[in-house]
Amino acid sequence: MLADAIRSETYRLLQNRTAVFWSVFFVPFIALALSIAGAFLIKTKAEQLAGELPPGLATSGPLDLGVAFANNAGGLANPGILAFLLIGAATLYAGDYRWETWRLISARNTRPVLMLGKVGVMKILALAAMLVFLLTSSIADIARGLIFDRPFTFSVGISQAADFGLLFVLSFVRVMQFLMISLLAAVFTRSLLAALFIPLVVGVAQFFLGEAAPALGLGPDDWSAQLLMPGLAFDTLKTLIKGGMEASTLPDGVMIKALVSLALWTLVPLGAAIAWFTRQDLSKE
Amino acid sequence: MTAVIETTGLTKTYGAVRALDGLSLSIPRGGIYGVLGPNGAGKSTLFRILLGLIRPTGGEVRVLGQHAGDPAVMRRIGSMIETPRFPPYMTARQVLQWLALAHGSKDAAIDAWLDRVGLTEAANRRVRGFSVGMLQRLGVAAALMTKPDLVILDEPTSGMDPPGIQEMRALIRSLADDDGVTIILASHQLLEVQRVCDRVAIFNRGKLAAEGKVSELTAAGERLRLSATPLARIMGVLGDKATLDGDAVLAAVPRAEGPALLRALIEQGVDIDEARWVGADLESVFMAETGPARTPAQVREALHAG
Repeated sequence: MLADAIRSETYRLLQNRTAVFWSVFFVPFIALALSIAGAFLIKTKAEQLAGELPPGLATSGPLDLGVAFANNAGGLANPGILAFLLIGAATLYAGDYRWETWRLISARNTRPVLMLGKVGVMKILALAAMLVFLLTSSIADIARGLIFDRPFTFSVGISQAADFGLLFVLSFVRVMQFLMISLLAAVFTRSLLAALFIPLVVGVAQFFLGEAAPALGLGPDDWSAQLLMPGLAFDTLKTLIKGGMEASTLPDGVMIKALVSLALWTLVPLGAAIAWFTRQDLSKE
Repeated sequence: MTAVIETTGLTKTYGAVRALDGLSLSIPRGGIYGVLGPNGAGKSTLFRILLGLIRPTGGEVRVLGQHAGDPAVMRRIGSMIETPRFPPYMTARQVLQWLALAHGSKDAAIDAWLDRVGLTEAANRRVRGFSVGMLQRLGVAAALMTKPDLVILDEPTSGMDPPGIQEMRALIRSLADDDGVTIILASHQLLEVQRVCDRVAIFNRGKLAAEGKVSELTAAGERLRLSATPLARIMGVLGDKATLDGDAVLAAVPRAEGPALLRALIEQGVDIDEARWVGADLESVFMAETGPARTPAQVREALHAG
């Protein structure tokens, strides 16, 4: 039954090429183009100004693509990916309210399964967007290396592989967290625009809360800080995965708090959306 | 005779409004069952409950022997409630493919259904450009392609042109007669209902006002139509049982008294050109059960009062 829901939602989403383009392809390719253009610009300007590249860029040291890929995996939950994935999420989650098509499919499966089917397809879409972004950011790394004449190395150790895997999973959870807020907004308001903008508003609010946190006396080891700001929880876990000096400064027990925060911000909106949808009057679309 | 739908004391309220008011109804398996009633009589509310879109406030309802909304039962029902809507970026063929996948159906025979509802030529057109009639046809195909045991259609011919209506009527009839599907349909087109339905229920203000075979309901208003001369003599024999209908007379007598009446008229020297029984149409039965249309003055009065 869940397979039917995922199959049909995937089929429908693939017919909506506009939503797929904006959700999956726009940000990675724009980022790639800007990155390459920026590298060319910097090189040209630097050569014009001083005949040399700025410190840091002019390094003759090799570019370790293994490390670069792991870092890219940690940057997949960026605002560009999140914002444009919401186009697909809003279409998928609120489309049946927008086009009054719930009554066509609600008779063909149970409501929780229909909702989980949508979430399943959104996971696939998010993974696709992340993988495309990973690919284009890796291409951008290679292109920048070529532009700045840096030699390449590719260190593939257990440590890099583990970092890459953990950072990728962490970014995926962070992306899904936003998409679950979109789901709840879609089901609760029945509005495509709300599904698109409410997660953005929540994200912006959390950003400003994070900026104000020190003034409010909230430290990273506070339960309230971790629970109110899943972005902080995400950054905490990212730091712990990367290790090093910064990780060693984090207080003990903060990992559990961050994990609980991420889990709550993902599962609570999902559970609330399913519970609300199960009792929703679908004749009022 | 087993029932596909059984309701007992079914009630649905929206605030102070009772959309269904203790409705008890049994719809038999097989054939075409019409659900009639003025706007707000509770037809759509009943359909929405049967399809699990809303929950009743009170009472019992069983669909194909199970509780309404049971997923296993829902998969045996095809439905089209009001004018169907579809994702506008999809073609007609894609819509059916999508719904077939949602149903888990591997052999939906999509092209055959597009052909059966007359949409073969429009199969690859996006539905955003479809007329209401084309949307209705696509909705009917979507309701039927999974071979359901029970089909619920709300105004299936709304927005269709006369040939389309005729095709739809033939399709519905063939589904009931050839495929053994039980069809429940609601329509305001009473002539259509009279032509296509075997039984009807007439709703009024959330209650069942009348129910039965179309032939039985209309037989209650059956009249003997006499084309004969002189009319004055016929009127004299029949008295207040006669009403003029153009050049003819309608005699309100039971069918059993027909032969005796004809003999009496002939004995009185009446020259009879034609005598035939005419039933009351469903419209008269409907109006009798749901009350006459309000006069403009009554409408104005209601508006001022409300």
